[in-house]
Amino acid sequence: MDVLKIEGLSKIFGSGRLEVRALEDISLTVSAGELAALMGPSGSGKTTLLLCVSLILEPTRGKIIFDGETIYHDGWSGVDMRRQRREKIGFVFQSANLIPFLTARLNVAFPMTLVGVEEKAAEARAMELLEYLEVGERADNLPALLSGGEQQRVAIARALANQPKLILADEPTASLDTQRGKKVMELLGKVARERQTAVIAVTHDARMIEGFDVVYHLQDGRLNHRQ
Amino acid sequence: MDLAIQDIKQHKGRFLATAIGVGLLFAVVLSYNGIYRGFLFEGLSFIKTTNPDLWVVERYRGGPINEESIVPEFFHYSVAAIAGVAKASPIIFFPVEREILGKKRRFAIVGYYVFDGLGGPQKFAAGRGIRRAHYEMVAHQKLGVQVGDRVRLGLHTYTVVGLTAEGSTPDGDPLVYLSLPDAQEVLFQRDNEEIRNQRERLLRSLTTPGAFPPLEAAKYLPRLLPDTHLANAIAVKLAPGADAAAVARQIEKWLYLSVYTTDQQIELMLKGRLAKAKAQTLLFRIILFIVSIVIISLVIYTLTLEKIRTIAVMKLIGAPNRVIIRMVLEESFILTSGSFIFGLVLIHNTYQVFPRLVVLRAGDDFITFLIALLGAILASGLGVWHALKTEPQLALGEQ
Repeated sequence: MDVLKIEGLSKIFGSGRLEVRALEDISLTVSAGELAALMGPSGSGKTTLLLCVSLILEPTRGKIIFDGETIYHDGWSGVDMRRQRREKIGFVFQSANLIPFLTARLNVAFPMTLVGVEEKAAEARAMELLEYLEVGERADNLPALLSGGEQQRVAIARALANQPKLILADEPTASLDTQRGKKVMELLGKVARERQTAVIAVTHDARMIEGFDVVYHLQDGRLNHRQ
Repeated sequence: MDLAIQDIKQHKGRFLATAIGVGLLFAVVLSYNGIYRGFLFEGLSFIKTTNPDLWVVERYRGGPINEESIVPEFFHYSVAAIAGVAKASPIIFFPVEREILGKKRRFAIVGYYVFDGLGGPQKFAAGRGIRRAHYEMVAHQKLGVQVGDRVRLGLHTYTVVGLTAEGSTPDGDPLVYLSLPDAQEVLFQRDNEEIRNQRERLLRSLTTPGAFPPLEAAKYLPRLLPDTHLANAIAVKLAPGADAAAVARQIEKWLYLSVYTTDQQIELMLKGRLAKAKAQTLLFRIILFIVSIVIISLVIYTLTLEKIRTIAVMKLIGAPNRVIIRMVLEESFILTSGSFIFGLVLIHNTYQVFPRLVVLRAGDDFITFLIALLGAILASGLGVWHALKTEPQLALGEQ
């Protein structure tokens, strides 16, 4: 089942002589449980594509169908995208971006409380997720006391909190060494397979994409090829 | 999940330090409210404690507190004869600096007719009122004397028979009550050496060749020596139903004196002796308050700005605006309230150590809190505005 379908998506910044075509005529599909990588050099439009998919940035034209619902079509967007992000999309960032004053457990529980899960139930489920990602013993630590790799695992647990249909990961290994980076990518793969979650991970490091189902290459805002 | 509480819990030390810092600022603002009130209270204290219906003073003088006024003591008979006057009695109010029990002290002597006059002490913290015509005194407890102490003033020694807790000079100095003759003696009577010298000088003048023979000169001498039968004002109690303005007009017209009601005396003080100091204190109070609000606002705004990246993350993962607004406002409310309570407790436990009276009023405290809270809400509003316009993609870049 397709979780995300993009057709002819473009994003243009500025106009006239200052016009920058960040994305041009992008079309791709990601299915449930599929692990997709977006590769390309800096400035190729990888992060812009993630922002457009989550409607944080409004595309210039094209069509986005998410979870069977058209969420954008040539300038039209009739959905509450913040709610969509809250309920159906998980984010993993380049740096973990955990909320600094919440413990690991509360960081994971927080998105659940946003969708109305009772606090105790949210914390119990957060604990399950942390254990699933092998950082259960660090549940009551503040982010500042966790290593980079542990922080990234907590961030993945947070992304999984509301059982999202799609996880968008923006260079999740950029701030980690190779070994820890590979571990994070393995975990994303595990999540995709075991929880039937579609994952789109942006990376420019070819060593990190072992085991990915599909790799999209972006160059100057165009999708060059798929492998 | 209460994000504000979680944030405070994880930053207890910083929150406490900020609350204590801002709380000290609140303590200064609250103490200045009290200093302002205390300044006005003391400034008007003697007028309000004495509180006759009319104050009769030397013509064209705004006395006896705002400006000096001297009237002959016997004028009270003439005032008492005016229709509508139930009682008139002379009073003395005279600031002095004398040695009391071995220490130099500033205070004001209040002289009054102790048996049936107006202007005596009303409430006693200890002891009793003056019951003898001479050599008894009642003092404010701030003077540092006890009932039974014997205090030397001028030519005589006075026994402290009572202590009061109310009334002071406009400068905050205590009052000492004496019978009118005692007060006149302490204030106006020269010492014996000076009297002898003056008498000699007068006698020499009177017996110069061509003036008076020595025996006749000696006869006139006592009448020419300075008179001590003086007062600073005549306090008047009106007969029931008497019109204060009409009685005042009669006294001014026939006795060539000036007359003020107690309200007019208060106005004289507020527009005269107290005016500039009051304006200065009020201005300083306002400036201090504005500075405090600006500092509190900056602290709160800075606290919000520190969380901008966290707020961007929250927006990216779909947190609704109300969650972010609640966090900012709640933290601001807790900080403002916590600081205010610290300042309030501090000043209510230390105001007694101030050298002058500090009058703390619940109304002033409450208004100060409301205005501080309003400032905090405005600052939070600015923080919220900043938070809400934060782009979620801010969370995507490197930290």
